[in-house]
Amino acid sequence: MLEHYFPILVLLGAALAIGGGAMGFSYLVGPKRPYHEKLDQYECGFAPLGRIRMRFDVRFYLIAIIFIVFDIEAAFLFPWAVAFESIGLIGFIEMMLFLSVLLVGYAYVWKKGALEWE
Amino acid sequence: MAVEQLDIHLVLMMPEILVAIMAMALLLLSAWTHKGGAGVIHWLTMMTIVAVVLVIQVGSGTATTFGGQFITDDFSRYVKVVMCLGMVLPVLMSADYIRGHGMDGGEYHVVTMFAMLGGMIMASSGGFLILYLGLELMSLSLYVLAAWRRDDRCSSEAGLKYFVLGSVASGLLLYGISMVYGVTGGTGFAEVASFLGKPEGHGSQLLALGVVMILAGMGFKIAAVPFHMWAPDVYQGAPTPVTAFMSVVPKVAAIAALFRILFDVFPTYHVQWVPILQLFAVLSMAVGAFGGLVQTNIKRLLAYSSIGHVGYMLIGLVANSQAGAQGVLVYITIYLFMTVGVFGLIIAFDRQGLGENISDYQGLARKQPVMAFVMAMFMFSMAGIPPLAGFIGKFSIFMAAVKGGFIPLAVVGVLFSAVGAFYYIRVVKVMYFDQPEGEFKVTLSGGGFIVVSLSLFMIFFWGILPGDLLAWTGASVQAFH
Amino acid sequence: MMVADVIFYLFATVTVLSALGVVGARNPVHSVLFLVLAFFSTAGLFVLMGAEFLAAILVMVYMGAVAILFLFVVMMLDVDFSMLRRESVRYLPMGFVVGAVMLAELGLMMAHHPGEGLHLGLDNTDNTLAIGQALYTRFLYPFEVASLILLVALIGAVALTHRERKRVHRQDISTQLARTKEDAVELRKVASGEGA
Repeated sequence: MLEHYFPILVLLGAALAIGGGAMGFSYLVGPKRPYHEKLDQYECGFAPLGRIRMRFDVRFYLIAIIFIVFDIEAAFLFPWAVAFESIGLIGFIEMMLFLSVLLVGYAYVWKKGALEWE
Repeated sequence: MAVEQLDIHLVLMMPEILVAIMAMALLLLSAWTHKGGAGVIHWLTMMTIVAVVLVIQVGSGTATTFGGQFITDDFSRYVKVVMCLGMVLPVLMSADYIRGHGMDGGEYHVVTMFAMLGGMIMASSGGFLILYLGLELMSLSLYVLAAWRRDDRCSSEAGLKYFVLGSVASGLLLYGISMVYGVTGGTGFAEVASFLGKPEGHGSQLLALGVVMILAGMGFKIAAVPFHMWAPDVYQGAPTPVTAFMSVVPKVAAIAALFRILFDVFPTYHVQWVPILQLFAVLSMAVGAFGGLVQTNIKRLLAYSSIGHVGYMLIGLVANSQAGAQGVLVYITIYLFMTVGVFGLIIAFDRQGLGENISDYQGLARKQPVMAFVMAMFMFSMAGIPPLAGFIGKFSIFMAAVKGGFIPLAVVGVLFSAVGAFYYIRVVKVMYFDQPEGEFKVTLSGGGFIVVSLSLFMIFFWGILPGDLLAWTGASVQAFH
Repeated sequence: MMVADVIFYLFATVTVLSALGVVGARNPVHSVLFLVLAFFSTAGLFVLMGAEFLAAILVMVYMGAVAILFLFVVMMLDVDFSMLRRESVRYLPMGFVVGAVMLAELGLMMAHHPGEGLHLGLDNTDNTLAIGQALYTRFLYPFEVASLILLVALIGAVALTHRERKRVHRQDISTQLARTKEDAVELRKVASGEGA
C-alpha cells in the first residue's frame, strides 16, 4: 500500500528542494550589508504609530466555524462513497438523512444572514 | 468483509425522533419568522414536550435496537419523563425572562430541546460510543446556553469556563473509553460485559484505569467533587432559566448513564468503583455543606446545594442495589421540583429588577408573607426537614445505604445534611427576621405561578404521601438485577 | 523495510520539533503554523501505519479548517502574548506533571499489549472501505447523532456571534421582482434651459 504514496514522497522532496533551495541559495550568494536605518521599521518617514497587528472582525470566526462544520460533513462522504456498493439502500438513505439535517442548518444560517457581508 | 445486517426498530425511539424533528422544524420557523414567531415557538415547544411524554408512556417492556446501542426499558422511560419535566418547567416559567433579556429568537428553545435530546440519548445508550455522542450533544448545547446572554460578561465567562473545563472532562471520558476498548475490543455495553464475564476479563489494571477515567468524565458532568470547580461560576453566570435546566437535566442524564455503566457493564469491577464513588459522595456532601455557608449570591448558593445533592445521589449508586437505584430516582424527582420551584422564585425577583443576592430577600416575610412562605418551604425541603418531600429523598437514599452495609457513609450523610441545613435556614432567617430595605413587590408571571405552585404542591404531597412515587420508581428499577 | 523506517523517523522528528515550536515560538502566528506542520507530519505517520483515512482527515479537517480557525482566533484576540508567555513559565511544573502522567499511561498501555504498538493489522484491507462499512451499518445511529451535534454547533455559532446588520444590501427577490415602472421611474418634462 505504501508504494502508492511514493509519488507523493517524491513531490514532497521536490517541494522541499525547490523551496529550500531557492531560499538557501539566495541566502548564500546574496550580498548582506545591514545597518540600523535599513533594519528599522519604515512608515512613511514617521516612527511607527500604533501596533502592527490589527484585530480581525469576529465575522471571520463565524465563517470559519461554518466552514469546519461543512468540511467535516464532506469528510464523512469519503468512506460513504468508497463503501457505497456494499452498504446498500440503507446506507444511501442514512447519508441523505445526515445531509438533510445539515441542510436544515444551512438554510438556517443562510436565512439568518450569517453568510452575508456588507 | 461482509456487511452486517442491522436490526432497526425506529418505533422504539419515537420520543427521540419526535424531539429531533420538532427542534429542526422550530429552528426553521424561528429563522423565517424572525422575532415574530417567538411566542408560537414557545408554545409549540411545550406542546412537543407534552407529546413526547405521552409517546414515552406508550412504550413498555425492555427492547433494544441498532445492535443493542439503543435500550429502552422502564428505567430509561422514567428518567426521560423526569428530563422532559426538567426541561418544560423552566421554559414555562421563564417566558418573560427570555423576552426581557433579549433571548427570544426562538433558537433558545431549539438548543434547549437539543440538550434534552442529548440527555435522552444518554439515558437510552447501549454503548460507549453513543453514550459519548449523546453527552456531547447535551454538553455542546449547554455551553451555548450558558453563554446565551452574550452581551453580559458573567454569562460569556460562564459559557467559556464551562466549555474549556467540559472539553477536558470529555477528553478524559474518551480516553477512558479508548482504554476499555483497547482491553475488551468492543464499545457496546453488552460486548464489554460479555468480555468481562470471561476469565481473561478479570483484574486488568488498564481496564480499572479506564473505569476511573470514565468516572472522572461523568463526575464532571454531574459536578461531583473533585470535578465541581466549574459549577458555582457557571450557575451564577448562566441565565437563570438555563441554570434551572442545567441543575436537573444533565445530572439526571449522567446519573442514568452511570447506572447503566456500573450496574450492567462493570459489576465485576465494583471493588474499584465503589470506593471511588464513596470518595466522590463524601467530598461532594462536604463541599456542598461547607461551601454554601459563605455564599452571598443565591444562584451560587444553589450551585453548592446541587453539589451536595449530587453527593447524596451518589450514595444511592454506592449502595449498588435496586434499593439504591430506587432511592436515586426518588431523590432526583423530588430534587427536580425543589430546584425548579426555587428558580421560579428567583426569576420572579429578577422580574422586579432585584438582584440575586441573598440580602435582597431581607424582610420579604413582612412585605409578602406568601412569597416568603413558599421560599421557606423549598428551603426546608432542600434541607431535608420532614414532612416535606426532601426528607423522603434523603431517607430512601440513607436506607438503601444502610441495607447495603454502608452504615458509616449513611451516618456521614446525615451529619453533612445537618451542616447543610444551616445555610438553607439562613435564607429563611434573612427573609423573616431582617428588616426590609426599600419598596418592592415580587410577582410571578402566569407560567411562573403554575410552576411554583405545582412544585410546592408536589413537595407537600410527596412529603406526606410518597406511596405513588415509591411505587413508580420501584417498578422502574426492576430492569437492574 | 528500510525506506519506511527512515521516513518514519523523519516524520517523527519533524512532529516532535514542530510540537516544540508550537509552545516555544514567540509569535503566536508562528505557533499556529508550527501546528500545521505538526498536523502534516502526523498525517505522514498515519499513512505509514496504514491509516489512510485518518491521514486524509488530518489534512482536510485539521490542517484545512481547524488550524485556520486557530489563526483567525489568534488574530482576532490581539492578546499581548509576550505577557502571557512570561506567566506561562509558572505553569511549567504542572505541564511536566501532566506530561509525565501521559507518558506513564502510554507506557502502561504498551506494556499491556507488547509488540502491537505500531502495526494495526490494517495493511491488507482498504482502511477507508472498512470505516465506511462499519460506520454506515453498525454505527448508523451514532452517525446520525453526529449530524445533530454539527447542527447544534452551527446554531450555537450563529446565536453567539452573529449580529443583525442594518446596512446590508440584501437580496430580496420578491420585492425586486415586484418593482414596477411606476414606482421606480419618474418622468418629468423639463423646459429647456430651466433644468437644475
